[in-house]
Amino acid sequence: MAAAGGLVMTLTVDASLTQGAFMLTVALRAGPGEVVAILGPNGAGKTTLLRAVAGLLAVDSGTISIDGDMLDDPARAVFVQPAQRRIGVVFQDHRLFPHLRSVDNVAFGLRAQGMSRTRARASAHQWLDRLGLGALAQQHPRRLSGGQAQRVALARALACCPRALLMDEPLAALDVQTRAEVQGELREHLGAFAGPTLLVTHDPIEALLLATRIIVLENGQIVQQGTPAEITSRPVTPYVARLVGMNLYAGTATRGFVALDGGGELVVSEAIDGPAFVALRPSALTVHVAEPHGSARNVWPGTITSLAPLADRIRLTVAGPQTVLVDVTASAVADLNLVPGRAVWLAAKATDVTAYAAGPEAHVQNA
Amino acid sequence: MTGRRRGRRRNVDAPPALVIAPALIGIVFLVLPTLGLLIRAPWSSLGAIYADTEVADALRISLVTSLQATVLSLLFGVPLALVLARQRLAGIGIVRALVLIPMVLPPVVGGVALFLALGREGFVGRYLDQWFGFTLPFTQHGIVLAQTLVAMPFMVITMEGAFRTADRGLEEAAATLGASRSRIFTRVTLPLVVPSLVAGTVLCWARALGEFGATVIFGGNVPGSTQTMPTAIFTAFQTDPQNAVALSLPLLIVAVVILGALRDKWLRPVASS
Repeated sequence: MAAAGGLVMTLTVDASLTQGAFMLTVALRAGPGEVVAILGPNGAGKTTLLRAVAGLLAVDSGTISIDGDMLDDPARAVFVQPAQRRIGVVFQDHRLFPHLRSVDNVAFGLRAQGMSRTRARASAHQWLDRLGLGALAQQHPRRLSGGQAQRVALARALACCPRALLMDEPLAALDVQTRAEVQGELREHLGAFAGPTLLVTHDPIEALLLATRIIVLENGQIVQQGTPAEITSRPVTPYVARLVGMNLYAGTATRGFVALDGGGELVVSEAIDGPAFVALRPSALTVHVAEPHGSARNVWPGTITSLAPLADRIRLTVAGPQTVLVDVTASAVADLNLVPGRAVWLAAKATDVTAYAAGPEAHVQNA
Repeated sequence: MTGRRRGRRRNVDAPPALVIAPALIGIVFLVLPTLGLLIRAPWSSLGAIYADTEVADALRISLVTSLQATVLSLLFGVPLALVLARQRLAGIGIVRALVLIPMVLPPVVGGVALFLALGREGFVGRYLDQWFGFTLPFTQHGIVLAQTLVAMPFMVITMEGAFRTADRGLEEAAATLGASRSRIFTRVTLPLVVPSLVAGTVLCWARALGEFGATVIFGGNVPGSTQTMPTAIFTAFQTDPQNAVALSLPLLIVAVVILGALRDKWLRPVASS
């Protein structure tokens, strides 16, 4: 345990709390320097989790601790007030104090910890400089752009030397152009932070770009966690599959075959048995106007129901035993006259079909 | 927003013809008395009237007592407003209704009630008298209390609304930065409600300055001691209405100055923070 004055901390959450009919149950650990994205749809409980860690909500059972220092433990009547937790929060709407200049916003936490005004201001200036905001130190928040306000909020949270950092949809409030600009910087600043970071988002791009690990939260439950690569290649819920642009089917595997729950069967290269998921990349499928006879082990007929343009290709939705997303080029659409209502054949090589066992926590919900 | 856009919006927002006539009558009714005061004021003999009457004393007493009443309302009304706005407690609604009673109660009744409570024979006042030899009725302290009773609810109701609508998110942010509750209150909440604080203070002060009913019952009307501007005007009106008009002018000037001072803070539609 060295580096940066004992800042190396592990955040541990194993708790549940109920809000009306909604119940959140989460167990997670975030180590020093880790950026853990909590990814999930609206209403999944992401912000509730973040508020519980910050101390703005109390959990009903379980514990929240940081490096053995208990923050919330209802069984032992422990609840540390947010002001004593030393956990930095960057709120989605930034929540800069409108009556204070940038430098005094950043100095606020240091002043609250008892630092003299002069020293707190000096430290605040350093943080602003570090985040490239030196020129804006004397501005009031209403004069800042969304990206600038977000960085001031980050500087304000980091200036207090927090033991962990929480960010709520850090990029959601920014316009598209600013997002691109801020993403890179944010990645850099999060990388420089020695403690654990929890980053709440409903945007998979944000999670993939900023996080070292992703936890997928749905309906108050963790449904999947892993590295960005694991999450994108092996989604276990329709929500994640849709986010990462994969076709995902649940079924039962028997030696190279997976019988899909909704009907149909796929030949796969993995030799697994029992409940399984099958993931199919839309670009791995081929479209044919007549039944193809080739090496592809999976061939089935379907009907095009819609076309949607993506950046560099066209995404077809094809109805059949299962609804499938297929990506083709614009010229293929023109050459094959792929229009809604057209009957086509789809083909996929067994080696392009990823099958994996459905784990105990990997239950598919109806989307 | 540009003038051009506002002009275009007016077509949609314009009030219907139906309300124009009553609105005009309303304007005439509200402005006419002030005009009357200005038209009938004995401009040429003002100096003599002011020299003759105890207007200087009355004005001084009015300013001193109304400012003291305003300070009391700030000291006790603002904390009370915060409690009413933020304390989650069964029965807080009843407390709110009780403390706002003086606002809707006729001030004369308030004066009588003060007398029963804090008068020399009052159920609290008699002990003040017996134990401390301290009497409130017919003193300037009594006037301050009478004015505070009537004016403080305006401070409370203004600030309660402000505390309710103040951005709680900013207070949460301050808490995550390690600020104690009292620090959050002084460094975040109070600065956020400054516009309402100014409005509440002025409203409260104007109400205290104009207070008549409770003052005359509980404070009396002794020139040079407990006679305020409103009671002086009442006294003058019974003997010489011209003097009453002359005495009214300083209060009219105060009213105009208040409106002028509040033009930016208060009369403009609420500015976003």
